[in-house]
Amino acid sequence: MSEIPNRDELRNEVTSRGLAMTIEEAEKLAGYVNRMPTPLEFHLFDTMWSEHCSYKSSKPVLKTLPTDSPGVVIGPGEDAGVVSFCRHDGREWDLVVAHESHNHPSQVLPVEGAATGVGGIVRDVYCMGARVTGSMDLLRFGNPEGSTGETTRGIVRGVVEGIWKYGNALGVPNMGGDTEFHPGYNDNCLVNVVAFGVVPHDRVVHSFVPEEAHKEPYVLILTGKPTDDTGFGGATFASADLDGEQGMGSVQVADPFLKRVLSEANQAVLDMLFEKGIKFGFKDLGAGGIACVTSELAAHGGLGIDVDLDAVPVSIQNLPPEVIACSETQERYGLAVPASVADDVLSVYNEKFELPRLFPHCRAAIIGRFNSKPVYNVVCRGSNAAETPINYITEGVVYEREESPVENNLPEPAERPCDPTADLTKILTSISGCSREHIWSYYDSEVQGATRLRPGEADSCVSVPVEGSRAGLAVSGDGNPWYGELDPFLGGAHAVGEAVRNVVATGATPICATDCLNFGNPEDPKAFWQFKQSVAGIAEACNALGFSGADYPLPIVSGNVSFYNQSTGGKAIPPSPIVAVFGKIHDHRKATDIVLRKEDNLILLVGTRKDELGGSLFYRTCLDYHGGTVPVFRGSLEKRMAEWVLGVVHENRAHSVHDISGGGLAVAGAEMALASKKLGIKFSLDSNPVTLFSETPGYLLEVDPRFVEDTTLPEFVSVAGTVCRGCSVSGNGWSVDLASLRKEWSDKLASVIWREEGV
Amino acid sequence: MPRAAVIRFPGSNCEFETARVLKRSGIDSRIYNWNDIDLLSYDRADAYVLPGGFSFQDRIRAGVIASRESIMDLIFEEAVNGKPILGICNGAQVLLESGLVPGWKPGSVQAALAGNLAPGRSGYLSGWVNLKAEPEAISKCPWLCAMTEEPIPVPIAHAEGRFVFREEDIKKVKNHIGLTYCGESGTPADGWPENPNGSTLDIAALMNTEGNVLAMMPHPERCFNLWQVPPGMDGPWGELRRNSSMKDIEEHPGPGAVIFKSLAKYLGVE
Repeated sequence: MSEIPNRDELRNEVTSRGLAMTIEEAEKLAGYVNRMPTPLEFHLFDTMWSEHCSYKSSKPVLKTLPTDSPGVVIGPGEDAGVVSFCRHDGREWDLVVAHESHNHPSQVLPVEGAATGVGGIVRDVYCMGARVTGSMDLLRFGNPEGSTGETTRGIVRGVVEGIWKYGNALGVPNMGGDTEFHPGYNDNCLVNVVAFGVVPHDRVVHSFVPEEAHKEPYVLILTGKPTDDTGFGGATFASADLDGEQGMGSVQVADPFLKRVLSEANQAVLDMLFEKGIKFGFKDLGAGGIACVTSELAAHGGLGIDVDLDAVPVSIQNLPPEVIACSETQERYGLAVPASVADDVLSVYNEKFELPRLFPHCRAAIIGRFNSKPVYNVVCRGSNAAETPINYITEGVVYEREESPVENNLPEPAERPCDPTADLTKILTSISGCSREHIWSYYDSEVQGATRLRPGEADSCVSVPVEGSRAGLAVSGDGNPWYGELDPFLGGAHAVGEAVRNVVATGATPICATDCLNFGNPEDPKAFWQFKQSVAGIAEACNALGFSGADYPLPIVSGNVSFYNQSTGGKAIPPSPIVAVFGKIHDHRKATDIVLRKEDNLILLVGTRKDELGGSLFYRTCLDYHGGTVPVFRGSLEKRMAEWVLGVVHENRAHSVHDISGGGLAVAGAEMALASKKLGIKFSLDSNPVTLFSETPGYLLEVDPRFVEDTTLPEFVSVAGTVCRGCSVSGNGWSVDLASLRKEWSDKLASVIWREEGV
Repeated sequence: MPRAAVIRFPGSNCEFETARVLKRSGIDSRIYNWNDIDLLSYDRADAYVLPGGFSFQDRIRAGVIASRESIMDLIFEEAVNGKPILGICNGAQVLLESGLVPGWKPGSVQAALAGNLAPGRSGYLSGWVNLKAEPEAISKCPWLCAMTEEPIPVPIAHAEGRFVFREEDIKKVKNHIGLTYCGESGTPADGWPENPNGSTLDIAALMNTEGNVLAMMPHPERCFNLWQVPPGMDGPWGELRRNSSMKDIEEHPGPGAVIFKSLAKYLGVE
């Protein structure tokens, strides 16, 4: 193996090992090591150069997103983004946020795929030193009622089960999320997961070996689940079109119990290291397993490392070195600490928290030593399994992809018949417009005892994450596939806009955002064009919706790109940029929800209605029409509306607030009444489809009648109705009795999706 | 100040908020790991709480492995000494599996918490229920002694919360009922969802004979503050929550506080 291999020899290796790398990439690798690469080197670089890890197609485009703002502590690049959050008791606290997709695994094995999705994203937050205080799932499924309905229903049930079985056991409250159905996801569901937590600013941990390792010996401790062969090739699997059930072996197996014990053990170790004033590096094991964590911890700290695979605790004997090094066994972390404290660290894991007793073959062990030679050296059973210049591993690859516009100019429908009573009833009892309560009822949203507003009570969930502080955290994730399909730019812009409105509606000021960009195959110029359009839309909206003063944008601090969301035979998914926005409310006691408070209060409409119903629930559900003009994104107006709403909330003058999005004003009003149970809204507006059902961004605000007497309303605010007794919503010539509709609205989802379980 | 020990098993996940609300009730609390046996034997406490979670991953049955951990010998001893002991959710499952509740035959399992029975669904259920204390329980249980006849809304979050008994034991059970699920105004539960899991006799919390050990499925530590009550809730607590001032929403106790206030009262906290 000492000679440089030729093209055919490389091609044989790539094919027989099932690698995703191109022949050119294999040649590049052979050039780096100046010989035939070892199996471990092949798999390591295959992972590092996969789309999932390297962002090789998306990197140049992602650079256009705004990431900088005064509050940003760590932007994109490490495992999670970090922004400053609050000051309490003389201490600065930071918010840590991460956002990822687990789409392919969830399509193939829904329960395991969704569970490991939660498992992976919380690790990214934990490994910044934070306690995880919440998670959120943004789900996109195919049509559960259509011809492929049965498959889709099974996937929905499995994904929900995976989420609750993992998240509830881990003790991380579920802070909502959203669920959308679109036939474009029939063969490729999307499971995007968001996790967040808090950490004192002086205790943020980095994912590289510290400076001090240049002066004194540092070792790498691997802790957590014993390594097996699960998830081998996972990143590569996520970087190709989905082909039937192929790739099942690439899905990892989750263990929330072990994760829970590990989280407390990690905290105890971190506490000890901080108390002793010791510098260290900490990183979770995700894609590429041991190979990635060891090489990245070393390379990003400017060092080399010797890894001894024989020291790795395993649950299966005689695994090949490339499997030990690259499998994606869950629930593992790598810790770079001085050799002098290694025994103390090991004893916390192995004795105080008794890992070896709690889980077969589980223990923390020293598996590597850092050194100043810039080489990634791996030994297994006495022979070299890898010996590579370490800087090549993290250097990455970049491709310029071609783009080609997709024309999608669908006209407005010829006629728009509208019967508000019948149409609103139809929307509220449709699969898109009905309650998501059945899904939340499986999730624990109150563990940790810091939940202020749960799913369904307000536009975003709110928690009080720093003990003793009044600072509230509001989170929302959004993305409308129907907009994305008609106009990927507006799909991106409105994903930001809606998430911002949801946060603002609770009285929180947006402080940062994350994105997960779900698209088809980037090698297809059309899919790549859609991707670029959506990123441009997100960038425009973030630049318009910064709330940190001056011209600072809303910064994107973390995110993920998920390409290849298309099956080998079928169509790609609709362009699906999904954005999560995080907001801070200085005093959570002022937080607003959507529950109406008092009869005869006024309902204000913020945001004048426009004739732009393309992609709306009204067109889709009532006219069965899938075209038209998507609402324009009006950045400066959105910002002025948000600032005005925040002002009213902070003065304690808004009794309840709900944003206007899917279904327009009529649905927003109905949702407020449904949440209130005993009160409703009587609208005093014209009863036409534009007024009632246009999804032009806006808000409904409940205020005392005196408010309009002592306040000058801006031009974008008008009185739209009054709060009335009884759970109903009505207008000129129409009325919907929500008390009698409630059961159908709340049971619809279960009756369609859980029907195989006898609902 | 009296002291409470919160026992963390591997997989517990409610220990922090449980310890926090005890402190807020005037009881010094500390979390002990399952293997801090020597330390706890030395420290001792005036009361013990087994918090919620998924101890040992619910392997075999929820609570069964934790109930066999050595630290439970100490809990057993303290139960016999008459110390107040509370198991919440998974902690309740541990108490039943250890035989401490209902405790007819010490060390032998006399009742079980079975999988939820609800129309058209299986598995986990999160939501809010109403609870009512039995008059006899108010008089003898240190965890309920500050309660009144008024019902309180409290959240649940479990997959196995249905109390079940042998047919021949049902009569005896009645003397052990601490809390039952009920309607908003205190009327007996009218099936699902007022009784959220199909529990026998609508039981939400069960005591031992002496009343010092209470196994409770709902989570009072999650509604210690008024701001934790859902704004759309029916009944007097919902009304109070919706109409509260900024000061009240923070300072007014939530419906679950009474469980910990009961202990404080029992232990003589001013």
